[in-house]
Amino acid sequence: MLFSGEVRDNNKGREVTHLDYEAYEPMANKMIDEIVDEAISQFRLNQAVCVHRLGQVEISGCAVVVITGAGHRKEAYDANRYIINRVKNEVPIWKHEFFADGTSEWGQNCDCITNVDEHEHDHQHEKVK
Amino acid sequence: MDKRPIKIICFAGLRKYFGSEATVLVEPGANYSKVIDELKIINPEAAEILSSCRIAVNEDFISLDEPLKPENILFLIPPSSGG
Repeated sequence: MLFSGEVRDNNKGREVTHLDYEAYEPMANKMIDEIVDEAISQFRLNQAVCVHRLGQVEISGCAVVVITGAGHRKEAYDANRYIINRVKNEVPIWKHEFFADGTSEWGQNCDCITNVDEHEHDHQHEKVK
Repeated sequence: MDKRPIKIICFAGLRKYFGSEATVLVEPGANYSKVIDELKIINPEAAEILSSCRIAVNEDFISLDEPLKPENILFLIPPSSGG
């Protein structure tokens, strides 16, 4: 199962021109490897890969890919979601959004890792220990 | 005992407040939370984002209530926004 996360042309009603991704690369690579290995073991996958782009990514460009292969589709889909949710929420990668009005902002995903209170989500993920 | 300098590498939205690195002086035996407190003093405008940052040492996250390790460099990790 292949998931391709692609850049949207708007965010909360503002027109986006492109994104620029930054990472703390050695740690991000290490964490992605660990998350993929955990998914392989937990969902008994035959294979799994996750690659995240860095630098400039244009609208509709692919920012992240997760591939999961298993004997049954449920494991492949579940594992794929598990990997992308953890990569988005835990791995030190940051999105710099550039808007049509010439301004830019660093993106903010949910701060579930440090926010212990209940809060609204527009995504689902495993609660971080 | 003399305070020792800790170098802090900053990423993404943090650079607006501190540039790509900052240095704070902390007492030996202090917790990592002390580093965050010192940064809030240097730039109070960063207080909100600092409250949601994690600290990494040797590519592992550490708990803010741990005492400082011997390393004099740490990486301050704002909330992830990949994907």
